Amino acid sequence: MDKIKHKNSWMTIIGAVLFLGAVFIMNDGYKKIPFRQDTVLTIGVFSDSYWEVQNGYSYQILEDAIALFEEEHEGVKVQYVSGILKEDYPEWLAEQMLLGKSPDLFFIFGENFNNLAEIGALKDLGRLMEGDNGFAQERFYTSALNCGKYGEQQYALPYECAPKLMFVNKTILTQEGIELPDEDWTWDDFYEICEAVTKDTDGNGTLDQFGVVGYTWSDAFDSNGVRLFDRKGTECHLTDEGVREAILFMEKLDGLYDGYNVTSRDFDLGNVAFQPMFFAEYRAYKPYPLSIKKYSSFEWECIPMPSGRRGANIAELDTLLLAMNGNTTQTEYAWEFMKLLSGDERIQSEIFAYSEGVSVIRDVTEADRTLQLLIDSSGDDNGLNLRVLSNAVENAVVAPKFRNNTEVAAEVDKAVRDIMKGSSNISMEQIIWNREINNFLKNRMER
Amino acid sequence: MEANRKTNIIYIWMLNLNLIIILYITGIMAAGLLGHVHENSALEFMQQVNSVTMAPWKIPVTAVLLYGSLVLLLCARAENNIFLYVKTAVEVVISFMTGYLLNFSYSGMLLLILADVIRRTGRVRWRYAVIGVVCGMYLLMDYDLLSGRYHITALETYLLYYRGDIRAVFLGVKNVLFSLNILFFIIYTIQLMRAQMNEKERILSLNDKLNQANEELQLANRQMEEYARESIKNAETQERNRLAREIHDTLGHSLTGIITGLDACVTLIDTAPEAVREQLKVIADVARNGMADVRRSVKALRPDALEKMELEKALLAMMEETRKASHVEIDYCCTAELGHYNKDEEEIIYRIVQESITNAIRHGRAGKIMIAISIEYNVMNIWVKDNGIGCTHIEKGFGLHHMEERLAMLHGSLNYYVDNGFILEASIPIRWGG
Repeated sequence: MDKIKHKNSWMTIIGAVLFLGAVFIMNDGYKKIPFRQDTVLTIGVFSDSYWEVQNGYSYQILEDAIALFEEEHEGVKVQYVSGILKEDYPEWLAEQMLLGKSPDLFFIFGENFNNLAEIGALKDLGRLMEGDNGFAQERFYTSALNCGKYGEQQYALPYECAPKLMFVNKTILTQEGIELPDEDWTWDDFYEICEAVTKDTDGNGTLDQFGVVGYTWSDAFDSNGVRLFDRKGTECHLTDEGVREAILFMEKLDGLYDGYNVTSRDFDLGNVAFQPMFFAEYRAYKPYPLSIKKYSSFEWECIPMPSGRRGANIAELDTLLLAMNGNTTQTEYAWEFMKLLSGDERIQSEIFAYSEGVSVIRDVTEADRTLQLLIDSSGDDNGLNLRVLSNAVENAVVAPKFRNNTEVAAEVDKAVRDIMKGSSNISMEQIIWNREINNFLKNRMER
Repeated sequence: MEANRKTNIIYIWMLNLNLIIILYITGIMAAGLLGHVHENSALEFMQQVNSVTMAPWKIPVTAVLLYGSLVLLLCARAENNIFLYVKTAVEVVISFMTGYLLNFSYSGMLLLILADVIRRTGRVRWRYAVIGVVCGMYLLMDYDLLSGRYHITALETYLLYYRGDIRAVFLGVKNVLFSLNILFFIIYTIQLMRAQMNEKERILSLNDKLNQANEELQLANRQMEEYARESIKNAETQERNRLAREIHDTLGHSLTGIITGLDACVTLIDTAPEAVREQLKVIADVARNGMADVRRSVKALRPDALEKMELEKALLAMMEETRKASHVEIDYCCTAELGHYNKDEEEIIYRIVQESITNAIRHGRAGKIMIAISIEYNVMNIWVKDNGIGCTHIEKGFGLHHMEERLAMLHGSLNYYVDNGFILEASIPIRWGG
């Protein structure tokens, strides 16, 4: 009996040790063992610009932030793997996550955000934000902050963003005797101008001056108050009246070109009056010798997007986000560094100097210094209106966040194109396609 | 016991099979993950999963550690009910965690717990509740059920890494292993039932044997009682015989001496009254001795002479007494050392001599008695011859009969015949130092 008892207690002890070992490994306990004296904070970052511009300052802002951070937090080392290209970065990050080696803090693209938030790879920042008095949420642009929300939870902070603006070829407008539209211009104004400028200037029988290029149904939806999906992405509202209006408007615009396929090269050549562009694209043109040459032929200006009958002068916002590894062992330092990168004015103001995006901190974007920086980098004060920029960011549309919404977006794109191509009743088509997309959403949920 | 051993072996097989299954599944998962990393399709994979995956090496390592702890716990004996409840609960929790690592593609570990519970909870309270909970968990721990509520990635998603035909093989092997586990469980249960049935049969047969033994015991008891009764009867008879012997030996001897002495007195009383007086004194002595013998007989068995003195002296005293009382010539010759015999031996020697003398005087009317005692090869020989009338037909009287009985007790023998008088030979094997 005693022997059995003895055996029992031994087995229980060994069993408990194995169990605790398993739990220890599962919870990354081994990562918390201080093998080294200093704490290491790892950052996931890509080498080139998010805005696909080679500006030679790839790690400049990060390096500055690291210097600041390491100065403030002695004994903490911030490390990152350099040389990962932007196009490889999502795959690299996914691989690190699969291998259980994801950095404590990493940059993340809007298109990957939903997926990572959904599977729980990102830390919910809600408690950190609430528990930190030094963190002032209102300093951020609401829209930018919303880009880091999934459901009701904040999973990421915005680092830099770029609103979509309408790029106007002022030279054409002046030639045609048209005044630059107001900031609250509408589709009607937009159409009128497009109609007025679309013509065959050299009289060779083909159109060679156009109204707009790159204006998509999505831009039209955004500016007409269309909310295509509900919050959770379970239902599509393709049958909305706003959708019909937008499609009709798009058809009307297309009708101007007589089947001619306008490209952005036409815009570069100075033959198109309008092109919607992200602010970053606009800035990216500037430092390029080629671009300078490209744009030297005409004068331009940025204005907000035209508004539909049901909407406002708003467009979408492209945001680069910063998220924390859901399993990080360095939550506090990661949070501190995150705050530094995304909320510190010293760092945020560098975005205008070394990157092409817009700071997510309102005060930084609207500062005089920023204007000066922009003027310095572009060499002239052409077309710069910080209020327009700031408003565009503030009012930008943030698409509902749900998983794999790129696939859904492709489906909607197919639908809208089909509806526009089709000659039958738009409302009928809308209903048919709406059902189809809802089915698609349902299947996606079930998968 | 044999059936029990078989059940144990099947259980060990089940334990091993589960380890193989866990290694198999976690191996496939880990290899799939590494494959995605290797082929740069991690992003694509991440878009298909429903949860963050664990590092590839962690999945098998933690699963095996958890399984190890589960096995150890399964092998621990529960000493009381509370320990059993706690043990089962912890086992279920560990299984759930292991199941979580396997993305709930496998819940066979719960069959191990169920097998253990069925076996160990013979008379435990809430037995069926415990079994019910384990069964419930077995049914609930299913990917399709749980994935609706929780973020879990299907094993099939991990398998997507592999080519279609290989995936089919993997799934096939998986299904075979799963079925094998269920099969083992069924065999285990059957074996357990068989073991229990055997046990019941064994108990029944033991019961039969017990009843039989009981009956035999009762019979033996009755026989014992009868025997005891008989023994008592025997003891009574023996005691009666002994008393008769005693009366015959002591009172008879004394009375014979007295009668002979008194007869002599009757003859002498007219001619020699002085001698008669002497004779009467001697007779009185004999009577007193006889009286003493009777008293002693009442008290115990041993002759008074023997009580008081050693064998040889007692013999000599007895002969002297007889000589005096009945004027018989007694020729006594002893070549044996007469000390250090056991009391029963001493007594029988004394009695034989005494009885022979009595017989010679009473029945043989002898005038001379020869007595020889010798020892030869541990056998004592007593030889008594008288010159009396003898007899043509020896009628075994009480005395002879009694002598034979006594000798028989000591494995001795008795011979007597008539040849110019009565001759008696007795031989007694001597137990030295007994």
